[in-house]
Amino acid sequence: MLIPIEWLKEFVQFDLDADRLAERLTMAGLEVEEVLRQPEGEVLSIYITPNRGDCLSVFGIAREVYALLGDQCQRTPLYERIAQALNQREPFEAGEAAQWASVVIEDPALCPRYAARVIRGIKVAPSPAKFQRRLNLADMRPISNLVDATNYVMLELGQPLHAFDLETLADHQIVVRQAREGETIQTLDGNIHEVQPPMLMICDSQKPVAVAGVMGGAETEVSDRTVNLLLESAHFDPLSVRRTAKTLDIRTEASYRFERHVDPRLVSVALNRVCELIEEMTGAPAVTGMIDVYPAPPPQRSLTVRMERAEHLLGFSFDDSEAVAALERLELRPTHQEARIYQAQVPAHRQDIALEEDLVEEIGRILGYDRIPEAPPVGVSMQGRDSDLSQFLNRLRHAMLTAGLQEVVNSSFEQESPLHPPGVQAVPIRNPMRPELSVLRPCMLNSLVATADYNQRRGVQDIAIFEAGRTFRQTDGQPPYEEPVAFGLLLTGKWRAPHWQASTQEVDFYALKGCVEHLLARLGITLAHFEPLTDDPRFHPGRAARVYSGDHLLGVMGELHPEIMRAFDLKRRHFAAEFEVAALQTTAALGVRFQPLPKLPAVLRDLAIVVDQNALYADIEATVRAAAGEWLEECRLFDRYVGQPVPEGHHSLAFALTFRNPRQTLTDEEVNERMEAIFQALETRFQAQRRA
Amino acid sequence: MEIIQSLLTEAQSAIHGTHSTTELNGVESHYLGRKGPLQELMKQIGSLPNDQKPLFGQQINQAREQLAQWVSERREQLRGSELTAQLQQERIDPTLPGLPQPNTTLHPLTLTAKRVKATLIGLGFEFVEGPELEEFRYNFDALNYPEDHPAMDEQNSFHVREGWLMRTQMTALQGRTYGRRKPPMRMATIGRCFRKENVDATHHHTFHQVDAFMVDEGISMAHLKGTITLFARQMFGADVRVRFRPDFFPFVEPGVDFSISWKGGWLELGGAGLIHPTILRNYGIDTERYSGFAFGFGIERIPMLQYGVDDLRLFLENDLRFLKQFTTE
Repeated sequence: MLIPIEWLKEFVQFDLDADRLAERLTMAGLEVEEVLRQPEGEVLSIYITPNRGDCLSVFGIAREVYALLGDQCQRTPLYERIAQALNQREPFEAGEAAQWASVVIEDPALCPRYAARVIRGIKVAPSPAKFQRRLNLADMRPISNLVDATNYVMLELGQPLHAFDLETLADHQIVVRQAREGETIQTLDGNIHEVQPPMLMICDSQKPVAVAGVMGGAETEVSDRTVNLLLESAHFDPLSVRRTAKTLDIRTEASYRFERHVDPRLVSVALNRVCELIEEMTGAPAVTGMIDVYPAPPPQRSLTVRMERAEHLLGFSFDDSEAVAALERLELRPTHQEARIYQAQVPAHRQDIALEEDLVEEIGRILGYDRIPEAPPVGVSMQGRDSDLSQFLNRLRHAMLTAGLQEVVNSSFEQESPLHPPGVQAVPIRNPMRPELSVLRPCMLNSLVATADYNQRRGVQDIAIFEAGRTFRQTDGQPPYEEPVAFGLLLTGKWRAPHWQASTQEVDFYALKGCVEHLLARLGITLAHFEPLTDDPRFHPGRAARVYSGDHLLGVMGELHPEIMRAFDLKRRHFAAEFEVAALQTTAALGVRFQPLPKLPAVLRDLAIVVDQNALYADIEATVRAAAGEWLEECRLFDRYVGQPVPEGHHSLAFALTFRNPRQTLTDEEVNERMEAIFQALETRFQAQRRA
Repeated sequence: MEIIQSLLTEAQSAIHGTHSTTELNGVESHYLGRKGPLQELMKQIGSLPNDQKPLFGQQINQAREQLAQWVSERREQLRGSELTAQLQQERIDPTLPGLPQPNTTLHPLTLTAKRVKATLIGLGFEFVEGPELEEFRYNFDALNYPEDHPAMDEQNSFHVREGWLMRTQMTALQGRTYGRRKPPMRMATIGRCFRKENVDATHHHTFHQVDAFMVDEGISMAHLKGTITLFARQMFGADVRVRFRPDFFPFVEPGVDFSISWKGGWLELGGAGLIHPTILRNYGIDTERYSGFAFGFGIERIPMLQYGVDDLRLFLENDLRFLKQFTTE
């Protein structure tokens, strides 16, 4: 909202410069975003919160300035005249105006008040310089004396007005009613709209001539040839105006104000004011009398405020006289009821004041929030804590940091992607920013691949990243939606930075698996196992696995499918894993249980076998463990060899086995027996052969 | 006897003539080994008359001890020079780069969230989680937004379907909580919010917020200011001051925005106020007995102030060259 200082001073006189005034207004809740210094004068650019429709005018701001500055400020005769008119309660006489026009409100719920005056014999011309200057300062383009006068009064008092060419209104009649099915109207901007109930229309005896509170119609617009005018000033239901404006996608200064509630008392005040200005500009007086249809003026609202409670809520004490003075300056007319209890009369322009707490806020705001002291919270002491989920995610994050992966955080929005899990339909956004951000991510993989790609395009080729975040799922496109938290990893390029001394390897499936195993180890998930994953189109069918803990599926991992690499134009192989955090959380160990350190020595043995490559390693290891019995403490594969003299299709596997009996020292014979049993089992099940 | 003496003389020069520990070890085992000349002489002891046996044996033992001493002395000499040579030869260039270790870090938003949480947990707040894809009724209705009110325009939202949207404010959690908990409570949440805004250096469609609220007997604006001040001092320094300015949010009354003193001016950080009595009453909380405060603010603001990050977009772009800058946190 732009408020020229010069215009403001037509209502209130004060000695503050613009910057000081801006500071005072800002500290009272009317945030002055900028003091504009135009050649024609200073202008305050004020942000008005949506609850303060009453401040969307020069007069409204003047009222606040008066309430704030108190004795430092005087109200001008114009202010007093407007204030007095607002409080005038006698009904208006239709007088001569009734001979020239008539008004019917068919829907008083949506239009509680409609007033009209008639001016005859007008001559359309440019408006005087003073009006043009002020409109320009308020960033509104001057058009002609009639249009400028209505805009001027809207800016000055906050009441939107509309001028009809009286001769274009069928039967010189105004009917305020809901649109009928099939009706159309061409608005001032030239657009033709189909309208329907419950949109409120201003009509003549036959058709809509304006969209109530939003925009006038083109057919009844004033033009250079207009001689006789009907001026409209009305009060409309905020919600109705808002919905109509939204549906028709027309936002105007008028709808902006009506949506935020306009004081219904302004209807007559603004109408008289605009007639006064038109007469001043053109010399043409309005026809006497005002048609004012106002079937049910709202009752006066009153509220009780307890000063003790106000002090209690604001956290500082004050004299009642201070608070009473503040309320009086805000036109809340407090009257003393009993000890420290007052009754306030809420004026019609303060639609936002409905509760005692609203009055408390007004008192605090005017006395100043700098009076609030700082006190530590009182009441029952409470034990603060983080959520279980967040604590668990921190475990995952730290596991990945110790594995050398970097955390990333991506948007929840993405587009449909071949990296989405098969059979999952992503939740779409109805009004996305861009097509690339049109669905909610159902998994982490697309985010991670996008991050890798973004960095590779900027010259960073070696990438090891992870992300924890929400993913989104729906069943048959229906709520309730599920929001599983997912944890993803991605590796590509070299594993560790190149070094002059150590050779660096390109990452592969086993680099990824190492990270996954590290994660599982840090979570104490000891029963994890991996099964080949061959039917997920996102992964290379020969290089992917499902990860389980017992029967629980924890996640999937693998090398991205060559088709995926082609679709995303990836130059290097990418390895990714994704886990469902809830599954990890239910299977993770809750803490540490101390194991006594062994007191007896271990016996170490190596075992090297040659075996068919098609036998799964997991099965071989399980056979070793089963045959070794309870004394086997550790079974580690330390070498794998393919090539001469190992026969084609076979490989040699070498295990380092650690045996220990916690109760007595193992003898060579005991361990030899076990080693033999292990080999027998391998020979029987896998036709394994010893390797020298 | 002469034999022993000449053997000693010969061995002495052999010991002194050695140039390395290895050579010395050879000489040592030659003279003192099981098949050495002294052992051979010892074998002859049987052929001597009985009265000469003790003296002969004694002389051989003396000779052995003498030899062992010379070997030991020579070994010390050689070890010193050999160590010097070894150290000289094993020199490396200590200025060559070391083997790099992984140097990774949490995302700056995670780092900031952890700090915010630690501070508020210290003040007794319990953190809980809510969904990003939220029901309209929790995001707006439960927070005292009148039906279809212009206040919602300030939070242009992403819609998923009728009644469901991407949450525009973490305050949505309050509606979820009041129905399930009874006062006293101190709750907080931190997470992602969404508003349909054009993306530039200071605006993003996705941002993170913390929202904290407390309901108990006798809670006032002074407690709100005190709590925010405690928090701000933990986060930004012991001399930070907090300023309130009236503002409007449908879910608080009175409503304020709060600023912190920063580099000689005031920096707006977030919104706050006393929880709107209508909300408390809707959930059956007696507002004559209980009152509460709430405050919330954007997380991104903090690393921007703290580290001087000048573009909001960097946080979700995940340029590794940006993220690696936070390894010292």
